[in-house]
Amino acid sequence: MIQLHNVFLSYQKEVTALHGINLRVPRGEFIFLTGPSGAGKSTLLRLLYAALIPTRGQVVIDGQNVTRMTRSQIPYLRRSIGVVFQDFKLLPNRTVLENVAITLEVLGWGKQDINKKVYHILKQMGLEHKINATPLRLSGGEQQRVALARALVNDPKILLADEPTGNLDEENKDLILNIFKDANIRGTTVVVATHDKRLIENSHKRIVSLDKGKIVEGPDVAQ
Amino acid sequence: MSLNKPVKRPKLANEGVVGRFTFFVNRALLNIRQNIFVNLVTIGTITLAILIISLFMLVFVNLEGVSNDWSKRVQVTAYFEQELSPPELASLKSLVQAIPGTDRVTYVSKEEAFNRFRERLKGQELLLDGITTDVLPSSVEISLKSASRNSDAISAYVARLKKVPGITEVQYGEEWVQRYTTFMNFMRMAGLLLGSFLFLAVVFIVSNTIKLTIYSRKEELEILGLVGATRFFIKAPFLIEGILQGAAGAGLALVILTGCYYAFLHNAGNFLSFNPAASGLAFLPPVHIAGLFVSGVLLGFIGSITSLKRFVSV
Ligand SMILES: Nc1ncnc2c1ncn2[C@@H]1O[C@H](COP(=O)(O)OP(=O)(O)OP(=O)(O)O)[C@@H](O)[C@H]1O
Ligand SMILES: [Mg+2]
Repeated sequence: MIQLHNVFLSYQKEVTALHGINLRVPRGEFIFLTGPSGAGKSTLLRLLYAALIPTRGQVVIDGQNVTRMTRSQIPYLRRSIGVVFQDFKLLPNRTVLENVAITLEVLGWGKQDINKKVYHILKQMGLEHKINATPLRLSGGEQQRVALARALVNDPKILLADEPTGNLDEENKDLILNIFKDANIRGTTVVVATHDKRLIENSHKRIVSLDKGKIVEGPDVAQ
Repeated sequence: MSLNKPVKRPKLANEGVVGRFTFFVNRALLNIRQNIFVNLVTIGTITLAILIISLFMLVFVNLEGVSNDWSKRVQVTAYFEQELSPPELASLKSLVQAIPGTDRVTYVSKEEAFNRFRERLKGQELLLDGITTDVLPSSVEISLKSASRNSDAISAYVARLKKVPGITEVQYGEEWVQRYTTFMNFMRMAGLLLGSFLFLAVVFIVSNTIKLTIYSRKEELEILGLVGATRFFIKAPFLIEGILQGAAGAGLALVILTGCYYAFLHNAGNFLSFNPAASGLAFLPPVHIAGLFVSGVLLGFIGSITSLKRFVSV
């Protein structure tokens, strides 16, 4: 599902965030991307949803080479990828419903279908009673789940989550982890970047460890 | 036959060009409602911009009107070698009429010349004692088409007029025409320069306001891009919003302008005119009004399109 071949990425000429990454994530897998702050986790995720194009190397998502895509093809790639951002990126002046609906509006769905689908996913997240609240009036954990709902509402092929348990309590962390697992069971390939050791240990999933832009631990290192 | 069911997908709403268009218009209206403050700021800026430009135009159009009145005073008078008989006069008139630039040719007889002279001396008629009515020569007065009412054109005209057989002397307010021409050229230059500066300033201010308002919504633009919206999908509602803002701003400005005009400007004595009968300022002609409205719409549209370029990087 996800393949990176010898990927380098430099932000400016001197700052090289990724040094020759090789990674392969098969369809339906669930991996954790871990490593210290500044290791390049967020950068790697940005490559996967084509917010960045590698300086060198190839990124292949679901059989499509992102490196060779034109600008107008990228939106269609992103429609099959759900992303949960480190800072949520929720619109503060829109309701929870509108925030989640955005994913489906972009696809041209009708209002009725959108409302049904959004209600359904919010119910799964235990948030249906907050459907008309604005994000600023939600707790951190609730905001996190709204961001997740937006990422998952269209049953994406791939779910990318950047530090999804940032400063949540244990209960909320378990809640989020279970949502990931559910999505994974329904066939979504999941990549979670985190340095939350407890979360990783509780989940028993494959781990890819980054440090200073290189993979230092994980099945691909041995290759 | 394959038993595979096609992937179940909800029917897409708003299909077809009309459906898409109404969808985007509705979105734009929703955006306006949800960002009402920002929209009011933009509309207000466009209103002020169009108002400033239209007031400037109003002044300019009126100055042009006044100058046209003034230039009607540019008149050429031709005197004859000797008194003409009616047929001679008729042939001379038609010769003069044939010179390009001639508007109207009027014969002024000796009696009429004398009467006019007496008019001017009203109250001092004693001065006229013992003077006969034929002391003043007869003449033709020629008014010129507006294109010929400047010093270069008049000199050329007069040169041709002097060649008409029977005409010995030609008079026109040479000095006055020269000053008038210089003044008008200066006014036009100043107007053009001032107008261009005003226009540039207005475009700059409006486009910066729109840039700021779009900047305040850059998160929304970013998120739309990240969930897979095409560039067109992101931009279309903003462009429609820009057009609506422009139309609202320009419309409001024109309403205010019309209001101000009928409230006090239209019967404010036209201090620039020599003719006291022509009191009040003229309103802008319909072409100018239409032009102002279109400029408002364009301001909104172009302001949005250039600002979006900065923030939509999908
Ligand atoms: N937009 C940017 N411009 C320049 N350098 C950047 C940018 N984003 C990240 N970097 C640099 O790239 C490197 C990797 O950053 P990245 O954000 O991928 O780390 P991270 O593993 O996600 O860290 P954290 O756990 O703190 O989120 C860092 O050295 C960082 O300074
Ligand atoms: Mg990060």
